[in-house]
Amino acid sequence: MRRRLLESFGVATAIATVMVLLQLTTVPVKGQAPGATPWGHPNLEGIWLDVYATPFERAAQFGDRELATAEERAARNAARMVNPGRNERGDIGRRDVAGAYNAVYTSAKPAGPRTSLVVDPTNGRIPALTPEAQRKVEAQREWRLTLLRNTETCRSAERGCAGGEYGPPAPERFDVTPFYNTGRMNRHDGPEDQSLGDRCMSGRTPDLNGFRRIVQGEDSIALGYDTGQGQGYQRVVHLSGNHPPSQIRLRHGDSRGRWEGETLVIETTNFSPKFPFRESGENRRLVERYTRVDEDTLTYEVTIEDSTVWTAPWTVRQELKRQSDTQNRIYYEPRCNEGNYGLPALLIGRRVDEQVFKDGTGPDPFSLDTATCVGGLQE
Amino acid sequence: MRNWFRGSIMVTALAAATVGAVISVAVTGTAGQAQGQDQAPRPAQTPDGQPNFNGVWQANNEAHWDLEAHEALPGMVMQQGVYDYEFAKVPAAPVLALGAAAGVPGSLGVVQGDGRIPYTPDALRLKQENAEHWIDRDPELKCYLPGIPRAMYMPYPFQIVQGTDKIHMTFGFSNAARVIHLNDVTGPPDYTYMGHSVGRWEGDTLVVDVNNFNGKTWLDRAGNFHSAAAQVTERFSPMSPDAIWYEVTITDPETSTRPWTIGMPLYRRLDPNATVLDYPCIEFAEEFMYGHVRREQLVRRWEGETMIVEITRKVPPGDSFHEWYRR
Repeated sequence: MRRRLLESFGVATAIATVMVLLQLTTVPVKGQAPGATPWGHPNLEGIWLDVYATPFERAAQFGDRELATAEERAARNAARMVNPGRNERGDIGRRDVAGAYNAVYTSAKPAGPRTSLVVDPTNGRIPALTPEAQRKVEAQREWRLTLLRNTETCRSAERGCAGGEYGPPAPERFDVTPFYNTGRMNRHDGPEDQSLGDRCMSGRTPDLNGFRRIVQGEDSIALGYDTGQGQGYQRVVHLSGNHPPSQIRLRHGDSRGRWEGETLVIETTNFSPKFPFRESGENRRLVERYTRVDEDTLTYEVTIEDSTVWTAPWTVRQELKRQSDTQNRIYYEPRCNEGNYGLPALLIGRRVDEQVFKDGTGPDPFSLDTATCVGGLQE
Repeated sequence: MRNWFRGSIMVTALAAATVGAVISVAVTGTAGQAQGQDQAPRPAQTPDGQPNFNGVWQANNEAHWDLEAHEALPGMVMQQGVYDYEFAKVPAAPVLALGAAAGVPGSLGVVQGDGRIPYTPDALRLKQENAEHWIDRDPELKCYLPGIPRAMYMPYPFQIVQGTDKIHMTFGFSNAARVIHLNDVTGPPDYTYMGHSVGRWEGDTLVVDVNNFNGKTWLDRAGNFHSAAAQVTERFSPMSPDAIWYEVTITDPETSTRPWTIGMPLYRRLDPNATVLDYPCIEFAEEFMYGHVRREQLVRRWEGETMIVEITRKVPPGDSFHEWYRR
């Protein structure tokens, strides 16, 4: 009975819809204002990139000042020329991969006009961690330092061992990691001891570094990210429907969008604890805003909320610049996994070290630092 | 189900009668409403007059097992049983504990003509070897990018986002994607898994030429494959607002004696709140790929990279066959 009623309601709706469509459907004009899609939404399509390097958080000396002076930008550019943090393996006589990590993979963008990516709070700094989050961060740091204890890094008190101390190999070194690990540590028992990057799973939401391709449909919008070394990923923003039930946890969350005037507002929840953004896992909620301000510029804002991690929400802003669609310089085939010789090689290398130690012809693997040399403990 | 069918026919007929010669018809969305779903009407065409492919789609067939016609098999991996006959094989260790859930459903196949891929003799030998070494060779098991056309008929949904000069597809399997360029762009600088797709509309049919393959992808779990030189041409033709006839012609002189074509419907997922949920399989395949180099291995025995799987299927107290049967 109810079904029949609904059927006749369907018929009525069909007729009504057709009538409305007849009135509302306008014939799209090819080459109409680049500001709108044929269905009347602001047009965000294209390949977009933050072309500048901007400090994530603002240095204290700038206070509440969002924009840098020309002199300050020039100074930052000059500092970049000496390439601080460069990989020194080639320089100190160890075999290197022809400077690849300095010259090829590490792109050097010019200094941007902003003093920080974080624009809210007004001091440009991420709000304080909650006591609970601080405890978790501290526990992770302690664990990583524990595994470094017997290394040269700690013996000579290098930066990689800051907060730790030198000593004999820790008795806990064979224990199960006391948290769900996603970073690098000085142990290589299996994939779980490696960073998400080593495992080809480092792309995470929000991504602020890579190219973004936006393809816009009437009811959904695809965001393709080209980020990391072949660690890009796709998101689909639905302009209808609802977030799935809370037991559904997704690597990039579930994104639902709506138009507020000229701005696409995207709300993302249902994140997985396995793919954290900074300290935040499954409890984060993002509100992102994309606004086309001119032909070549898209402003992007993301507000990140996780009351279990930060004492207040905070916001990052970027001005993204349109890249040539014809040149098509975006890599939408992230094939890190297909060529991941690094992960098995790391594990095999450690097995060899263990065997050599067992045979009495090499050092204890825990006296070797295989964690802090490239990107530091947390990548 | 019958009610739904009748409902949608009624809606379609009435709407069509009302509209007459008018092009812009909204039918499927209202059929959805007839089911009581809270869905906005979905126009059959986009405002710029193309078939509306926006939405979540999925093949519903056995092509991901084998493009060619095949009978049902007792196991994804098989061994010789009591009999010597080829047709009397039984499930082998990797899937034995899964019982009847580990077989392969039969299919009339999707290869047009005589139902067989016209392989060259060398390619046919390689295909047969591939089939024998399925779990060692199939890129799907390693969560590698599936390639085109394989991604289109894997047993996972995918999302089509139809832009003005691009059509973007996001696949549930490993978050893979493709962009079909409807405008003129530079191709990729390297060979690819997913190919470089350039599309155009021929009437209501979206025709996509795909090339730049690296030759590392397969076409199904039966070991069917093509070479890097393959020219793939896809045709997406609307059968109804909720079904697309998907046809692919593969021209690959390195592996086949003539161009050959597969065809199948792709269906719109009409589920309420249809959403593609990722199948993030890179992590799922880690044990399979790297388990042999763990410090303490989880699988009992590896010989080099060869996993020796022993099956222990424990039956909990009270669940023995005769006990369960009498319950």
